[in-house]
Amino acid sequence: MNPELIFLIPLLPLLGAVINMVFGRRLPRPVSTGLAVAGVALATLLVLALWPYAGGGGTTIEFYTWFEASGLSVPLILWFDRLSASMALMVAGVSTLIHVYCLGYMVKEKDYVRFFALLNLFVFAMLVIVMAGDLLVLFLGWEGVGFCSYALIGFWYQEEKNAEAGQKAFLMTRAADVFLLIAILWLFRIFGTFSIPDILGRTDLIPAAAVTPIVLLLLAGACGKSAQFPFMSWLPDAMAGPTPVSALIHAATMVTAGVYLLCRLFPLVAVSPQGMAAIALVGTISAVYAALCALAQDEIKRVLAYSTMSQVGFMFLGVGAGALSGAVFHLYTHAFFKSLLFLGAGCVVLLSGGNNIHRMDLTPRGNPLVFWTFLVGSLALAGAPLTSGFFSKDAILMSVFSRGPYFYQLLWLLGSLTAFLTALYTFRLIYLVFWGNKNGGSGAPSVPFTMRVVLPLLAVPAMFAGLLNLPALFGGSERFSLFLEGSDAVQTLVSHRQELMLTTLAVAVFACGWLVSHGFFRKRSAPRDNALSRFLGNGFYIDQLVERFIQRPFRALARFWQRATEQMIFGGFFSGLGKMALGSGQVVRRMQTGRLSTYLGSFAWGLLFLVGYFLWCVLRG
Amino acid sequence: MATIVFYVLAVLALFGTYLCVTRSNPVHAILYLVNVLFAVALMYYLLGAPLVAAWEVIVYAGAVMVLFVFIIMMLELTPDQEMTRVGWLRWGPTVLLVLVLFCALVLMVAVDPETSKGIVDTYVSPKAFGYSLFTRYPLAVQIISFHLFIAAIGAYYLGRGGGSRKHSGKEEEE
Amino acid sequence: MNIPFNHLLVIAFLLFLMGLGSILVRRNVIRVLIGVEIMLNAAGLVLVGSSALWSRVDGQLFAVFLMAIEAAEVALALALVIYLRRRKGTLNINAFNEMRG
Repeated sequence: MNPELIFLIPLLPLLGAVINMVFGRRLPRPVSTGLAVAGVALATLLVLALWPYAGGGGTTIEFYTWFEASGLSVPLILWFDRLSASMALMVAGVSTLIHVYCLGYMVKEKDYVRFFALLNLFVFAMLVIVMAGDLLVLFLGWEGVGFCSYALIGFWYQEEKNAEAGQKAFLMTRAADVFLLIAILWLFRIFGTFSIPDILGRTDLIPAAAVTPIVLLLLAGACGKSAQFPFMSWLPDAMAGPTPVSALIHAATMVTAGVYLLCRLFPLVAVSPQGMAAIALVGTISAVYAALCALAQDEIKRVLAYSTMSQVGFMFLGVGAGALSGAVFHLYTHAFFKSLLFLGAGCVVLLSGGNNIHRMDLTPRGNPLVFWTFLVGSLALAGAPLTSGFFSKDAILMSVFSRGPYFYQLLWLLGSLTAFLTALYTFRLIYLVFWGNKNGGSGAPSVPFTMRVVLPLLAVPAMFAGLLNLPALFGGSERFSLFLEGSDAVQTLVSHRQELMLTTLAVAVFACGWLVSHGFFRKRSAPRDNALSRFLGNGFYIDQLVERFIQRPFRALARFWQRATEQMIFGGFFSGLGKMALGSGQVVRRMQTGRLSTYLGSFAWGLLFLVGYFLWCVLRG
Repeated sequence: MATIVFYVLAVLALFGTYLCVTRSNPVHAILYLVNVLFAVALMYYLLGAPLVAAWEVIVYAGAVMVLFVFIIMMLELTPDQEMTRVGWLRWGPTVLLVLVLFCALVLMVAVDPETSKGIVDTYVSPKAFGYSLFTRYPLAVQIISFHLFIAAIGAYYLGRGGGSRKHSGKEEEE
Repeated sequence: MNIPFNHLLVIAFLLFLMGLGSILVRRNVIRVLIGVEIMLNAAGLVLVGSSALWSRVDGQLFAVFLMAIEAAEVALALALVIYLRRRKGTLNINAFNEMRG
């Protein structure tokens, strides 16, 4: 296989998007949607076919020169190595399944062309991020996913709430992107190139004082896209978009872009211990915050949104603790079980006609497929033993524990607390949805085939992906970690005894969570409404704080400046100019009396001046 | 002899002009002006321009001034419109200006040595005058005749009452 | 006879300036036109005098031209005086002052 075909991987979904945009309305529906699905599916197959080229140092393909300006040449480079290949496979694969799901989900939608075009465009942008070999190319994809996310969240823009949610997401991530851009430019200033392999190869060039700020800037940029503290409040509101959009963007791909960025630049990031600590801290804060908020949500998708925020926090924690492969592995398992949960939530919403988990009338017996796949996803999320989520979460927590003294151990403690809370809210969700207030109504519409068929396909990896990275304790060989980092990364960080202890602790945490949840939520039907639940439900009122302390003064400042400049410039300067012109006109006007005697007099004065001038000339020479 | 006559005529002309300017009755002023024109005509003759002198009397004094008198008579001015007395206050600034101009001009003349040349006796016969006129300035003659013709038309038009006649209710601006 | 040219010039200046005075001061249209007459005469005097000084006939010719033009001008001017009188009922030169700013 020709390695040049690597560039087709992002290009195929782009082609699907373009065809849909240009010809979509004229083609029959199966053709246009089929092309969209085919674009992504072929990309997946292509990744698999070109897999061998990812080995070793990877393959760099230079596509063409994007722009050249005064000595700076930015080529469109794709770097296909182990990390990017596996990410690309995950992105393309999950996207394919979600595209298939959308065929059924969007069956009643008239504007499906725009939807599929945007979905494909999004996949293109995400693949560009994942396979970028150049920081500017990565930024191109970064902005691309930002835009597509805005367009897809606000897909049903006719309702103002959806448009506002899209706007909020875009603006918040955009604000974070500024930091990323600063970091990129700073790196360019140090290295003189934007090329990622070159930068990663010469990390010794960075002055010691510059490393931590750069890492913090990168962290800020990553927080925006990954909805971590402090750029996180856009994610729950983004659930206003269609459910498959949430599954794709806010479970598997865009929110993981931040994690991917840090993983891709890991050799750079690892140079600064303060930076790593900051990353871990931010991840933990977000994880705990999100888990607490998820406990008090009433809408099924918002629970899952906060859950995503929490799990991505885990990934950040993993990166900050140096567990690169652990974080990436958790990224993959999360992609599977979270998108499974979202797609299942889509089915649940369809079946029960609403979002509110306190008013759903599904039963395990009445909707077996949805129930069992949803259960699988939930178990993986909660970290039930032997599920994929269990292994990935455990890998992270173990790395954190073994990393260092007090700071990381505190983080480990908080991480375990979060795991407990995760189990808690996950089972709360299950109990409320499937065992809650039942009216026995089963006259529910049935779920389209394309939606149903995807669920088991996702459930399998959600359950069994743990096998890919089975730690030695369980008799495995950690193949995934080996694959990602080469043989030097698999160090036994903790002794076998400690590892056993930690694993047992993880199981115990899961069991506690389940039991507490069972006790609280199994029989409960009415939602609580006290101050605490409102505090948690509104995300600690952080949005309101931002409104009060940032947005309101900003608006006041803007109003002040507008008035000042308006008064000063337009009032003062321009009308002053006008008045001056008018005034001088008034003065000159008095010369035009219309009286003949005035004009005759002016003739005489002119004569006097002329005579005077001639006299002067004569006298002079 | 001619020199003395010339200076006498000059004094006459100046005095006549002064009177012409300062009288309040316009008819008086015109009569004094006629006087001045006669003096000037004689000065022309002494300067060797008999034809110009003749024309001065015939055209200027005989036609133009008479026209003036006609107009004044025709307009039937009321006494307060007719007699316009100008007080010293109004004369003041103008006199000052005139004096300044006079001084400046005299100064210019005095500085130039060329001007102290004397004018000697000359005489240009009408024949020489006519010959010169029609061989060297025929174009000017033509133009001036056009000029007079157009002036005649214009005067006719303005004077016939077309100036204030209303054309279909529209007020015309002349 | 021998008359210094500057004497002639001074005489002409005086005539001219007196005519100028009449123009500037008088409010009656007729008086203004009379002033113009005086000024033109003074110019003619200078022309004839200089033609005598240099023994050329051109000065006299110009004096004649001046006379002709002046006659035409007076004709039109007096027609306008009649018009003025008819429109405004007065002979004040400031009567038509609508063209003012």
